[in-house]
Amino acid sequence: MRAKSIWLAPLSSAVLLFVAMCLVCWSPVMWAQQTASSSSSGLSQSDIARMLPATDMGANDARNRDPHLRPVSDNPATPFDAATVPKNPLAPNADAVGAKTCIACHALENVQASHSLHVASFRAGAANTGPQAACESCHGPGSDHAKNPTAPGSIIAFTHDAKTSAQTQTAVCLGCHAGGARQHWLGSVHENRGMSCTDCHNPMARQSPEGALAKPSINEVCASCHQDIRAKFNRRSHMPLPEGQMACTDCHNPHGTITKPLLKTDTVNETCYTCHAEKRGPFLFEHAPVRQNCLNCHDVHGSNQQTLLVAPVPMLCQQCHTMTRHPNDLQTTNGLGTGMSPDERIMGRGCLTCHTNIHGSNNPSGPKFHK
Amino acid sequence: MSKRQLQLLPLMLLSLALSSMAAAQVADGSDTMRVGDMQYGNALDPRGWTPVMAPGQEGFSWLHAGMLRTPTGALYPYPRDASETPLSAGSDWTYWGLLQLGYIHLNGDKNAEFFRQYSDWKSGFALGYFTLNFDNRRTGQYVEFRGSRISDNDQYYRLRAGKYGSYKLEAFYRDMPHTVSTNAYPIWNGIGSTNLTLPASLTPGGSTPAQIAAASAAAPRRNIGLTRTRTGLSLEGELYRGWVGSAAISNEERKGTRLWGGPMFFAFGGLAGGVNETVRPIDFSTTDINLSLRKVGKVWRFVGTYNGSFFRNHKDHLDYQSPFQLQNVLGLPQVANIYQGEYSLEPNNDYHNLRLDLSRELKWNGQFNVAAAWGTMRQNDALRPPVTCSGVIGIDMTPIGGPNYTVPCGNWNTTAALSQKNANARIDTGLFDARVNFHPSTNFGWHAGLRWYKEDNKTRYLAYNPLTGQYGYISENGSQGSIVPGETGIFDPRNPLYWSSNVTVRNVPYGYTDTLFELGSDWQFGRHDSLGVTYTFDYNEPKYRERKRVDEHRIKIAWVSRSLGDATIRASYEYAQRRGGHYNYDPYTQFFSESLPGFVDPATGLPAHTVADMRKYDLSDRNESKARVIVTYPFGDATTVSATFYGNRDNYSTLIGRQNTQSTGSTLQWDWQPSPRTTASAYLGIETSRMGIANVGDSDAADNGAGLGTPGQTNPNLGGPLYPYANQWWEFDRERNTNAGFTLTHDFGRVRTDLSYNYSGSLGHVGYNYATIGALAYRGPGAAAAAGDGFPDNKYRSNTLDLGINFDFTRRFGMRLFGRHETGSFTDWHYLGLDQTLSYGSRIYTDKGPQRSYSVTLLGAMFNVKL
Repeated sequence: MRAKSIWLAPLSSAVLLFVAMCLVCWSPVMWAQQTASSSSSGLSQSDIARMLPATDMGANDARNRDPHLRPVSDNPATPFDAATVPKNPLAPNADAVGAKTCIACHALENVQASHSLHVASFRAGAANTGPQAACESCHGPGSDHAKNPTAPGSIIAFTHDAKTSAQTQTAVCLGCHAGGARQHWLGSVHENRGMSCTDCHNPMARQSPEGALAKPSINEVCASCHQDIRAKFNRRSHMPLPEGQMACTDCHNPHGTITKPLLKTDTVNETCYTCHAEKRGPFLFEHAPVRQNCLNCHDVHGSNQQTLLVAPVPMLCQQCHTMTRHPNDLQTTNGLGTGMSPDERIMGRGCLTCHTNIHGSNNPSGPKFHK
Repeated sequence: MSKRQLQLLPLMLLSLALSSMAAAQVADGSDTMRVGDMQYGNALDPRGWTPVMAPGQEGFSWLHAGMLRTPTGALYPYPRDASETPLSAGSDWTYWGLLQLGYIHLNGDKNAEFFRQYSDWKSGFALGYFTLNFDNRRTGQYVEFRGSRISDNDQYYRLRAGKYGSYKLEAFYRDMPHTVSTNAYPIWNGIGSTNLTLPASLTPGGSTPAQIAAASAAAPRRNIGLTRTRTGLSLEGELYRGWVGSAAISNEERKGTRLWGGPMFFAFGGLAGGVNETVRPIDFSTTDINLSLRKVGKVWRFVGTYNGSFFRNHKDHLDYQSPFQLQNVLGLPQVANIYQGEYSLEPNNDYHNLRLDLSRELKWNGQFNVAAAWGTMRQNDALRPPVTCSGVIGIDMTPIGGPNYTVPCGNWNTTAALSQKNANARIDTGLFDARVNFHPSTNFGWHAGLRWYKEDNKTRYLAYNPLTGQYGYISENGSQGSIVPGETGIFDPRNPLYWSSNVTVRNVPYGYTDTLFELGSDWQFGRHDSLGVTYTFDYNEPKYRERKRVDEHRIKIAWVSRSLGDATIRASYEYAQRRGGHYNYDPYTQFFSESLPGFVDPATGLPAHTVADMRKYDLSDRNESKARVIVTYPFGDATTVSATFYGNRDNYSTLIGRQNTQSTGSTLQWDWQPSPRTTASAYLGIETSRMGIANVGDSDAADNGAGLGTPGQTNPNLGGPLYPYANQWWEFDRERNTNAGFTLTHDFGRVRTDLSYNYSGSLGHVGYNYATIGALAYRGPGAAAAAGDGFPDNKYRSNTLDLGINFDFTRRFGMRLFGRHETGSFTDWHYLGLDQTLSYGSRIYTDKGPQRSYSVTLLGAMFNVKL
């Protein structure tokens, strides 16, 4: 019974809306208006209100009940209930028609979107604001679209076949979400590559535990473009990302930062120290490449060597250590555990068996990291 | 910050945040501003969401078939089958949830290291998944909880609550395991403590290799690894009229063990030192605090953040006993058994960072951003004595008419032997970043940026012993000076025995200043193509390094096209050229005793400690090219094919050091989503890489040149007597990686199935060649003949097959049966032979390395209840 009513309600609304739109659009008055001014809707709010179903959606409900409510801020970025209807550059003369109008056709979208944090927040906010809240706060004024649903660009759309530019799409989202973690979106590599918010997010359905993501998890979202990086995490040595205990966004802020690789901190090392705080030191005796950049020795996305090293030991160390005596000998199979002269410089953890405190030593006898 | 203060911090933050909630209005969270804890999952369900994501059959829209695509062209998944229940009749609150509880059974090599690397699998009952969610549709309030538990060391629980657009509270607890080895056989007692002692069967400093081998063979197998236990609390809300504040605190307790070292000088080349692979304790606490305040206006935007991190190591040293009998190179009787070794482990440290970001909207669709930050990392741990021995160390050569190189331990085994009692180490950082962006029209934009960052290392330490008036330290627990006469590590300008010892007497306070300028522009051609060009100049000034200045010019071209059918193509190419100032191959003189008054050059001069033609790869001249193409191609309504092609080339202009690196790879992914009932995907990835280095052996013995201690050893040049061309050698590491897999899910109605397979394989080969056998570590006729041209290949392969079947008995009750079969193989020449014995003369190892092959099956049954 319940399933049946879910189908019947939107269908009957859609049929009614279709009939109403046909009657309105093909009426002599409307025909005249459309032919006289094809670039403008030519509709007033009262026209739309007369043509289409009522659009209260509970809007202003709280405000009507309590006139003493604090005035809604016009700040564009904080309260959902103050979200304004963005202008659609491709339909500059369109007017807002209200959420109920949209839902008359997009009934199932409404059902699915109701489960998402994003639309739920608009719903809650709609009680405090005008009828435009919800659909048109993101999709722009809908009158042109209502008149001609298949006209490209008549509504701000966020999907592959949309005529809306990525800049307009992101501007809509930033209308509420500017600042904070997105302070540096403009000029970031993702912005420069023409990415849109909806490449990673889908606010129209709850498909992830949080973040209104376009895939079920953060890592799957990132891997949709960065497939090679995702593959590196399958290597022998990796951080626990495939095991679900880390996300790319633990270290990177895809919304833009002041570093090229979109790190959340100011440098590579500061990012690493947030989990590996013991490596921060500072130590009495420092190892130059360690202090400069962890990436000198580690490939953080995955490695075929132990502990994410970029090359096998002792080759890794011998890139720099040409010093006299033992560091600069060419090791061969003779030095292996199965060789003629087993040698601690290549067996097991190689150089690190003796120079163990390689990230820095706090021992007065530790300048060579033995102590 | 004291422990008491740390304990009070959460309460203080909670009070601060709660007091701010009165008029809370906040649009979204600051999660992506903070590092870590963005993902809650485990090996059972890496997403932390899979059990609730079965799609509904209705799809997303009645107006069109299938699912819409992202602007790039990837398909959005079908929405999950979601339904909420009113908390009570007429209530605005609804709830939904799922409880998944069952049993996991393991078969086969369940202790395999790679199987357990980040999963603490155990046969037994497990909480597969539990989520409970409450929403108030009218007020926008919500409470969400989810968690999962595989074992005590592998579990997570996370609670979120708040009000949409107003405030948010989050709390979590999680245990994350990290297995380092499941194949460890340490000979010591006290594993996990700060004091490793030998078993009764061994005599410290006096055991024979046979006794040590026997002790190793009798040692029980142990797992080496750790568990990270993290707890956290964060709150966010409006403080006052659009000023949004957030406060977060987290604490991590990291406990366990890791493989460690234990040198008693060399064991190679016939030297009778001792090499110990020991086990160190891990007992860390880290408390992180993040506070932020932001204001977003129409014109100005402001973010201020404070990050504090307080690391405490509850086991800050490791003492160990070495079983090996040391023997000096002269064959003289040892003056004492040297067997007590010590490590200082990581010191406690405090970190503070304050950062302010300010943005202003400008005309021409522009924006100006400026960020400034100051940070400091400090530690002032008490220093340990230079050595822990008692009696004497060194070599007494008087029986053969030589000098007496013995040193009383009493002069060095006390902190009175130090010039300072505490480390007093500190690094300050400063950052300034400014950039402008303008997009005066939809077809054209430009940006410019300037970034300045400085790391100022203020740590100063002089290795001076006020008890003796000597400089330097005691090398390798006293073992080096007890094997090689005079190599104790001491410099004494008053004593001819030590006035030519060139030893470290000061720390090197590495730091750098980096200035980066960027200028870029982008153009839109038509509706479907855009081109961006960015030039970057990076000016780096490292301190106390081989170069005082390193410059890099970089140009990057990026092209985005949507003009080839439905495809989205993102391509980029960049070329960089790094150069710099004069390269001083030895800038470290001031940190060695050769810089002190009273230092006397040896008769043959100080050997050039490195070759002048060497260029360290982080400073050397370099030409770099990178190219990348990412293609996303939608086919019809249900299929997406995406591919990545990429390559990097780095060439270093040097005779000695890293010479080149390169990698080339591609990935191919196919996704098919014909209906909510069926999804499938497949992927393939291949990458090859190569790194080449060159090095030169010094003439450290007569059989590969003039040898140390002969005239000419001060010549640092390649081709000179100390670094002859004959001793040059070259080494390269080639790697090939292959990944492949597929997934398939299908909903038969009351039965849903999911199948997935993943393959990961790598092949690594280290090869080498050399000018003459003078380059080799082992130059005897037999060794030279057996040198070959490379190490055996390293291989790693992993196959994982997962199958799951879900039965819905009723709308509320169901069952999930699942299985995983994982096989793997591994070879690494570092561990060759160690699986047979861990004892090699004067070396004792602990870890046999990962298993050569393993096969494990996991079966599970979970009872599902929809709440």
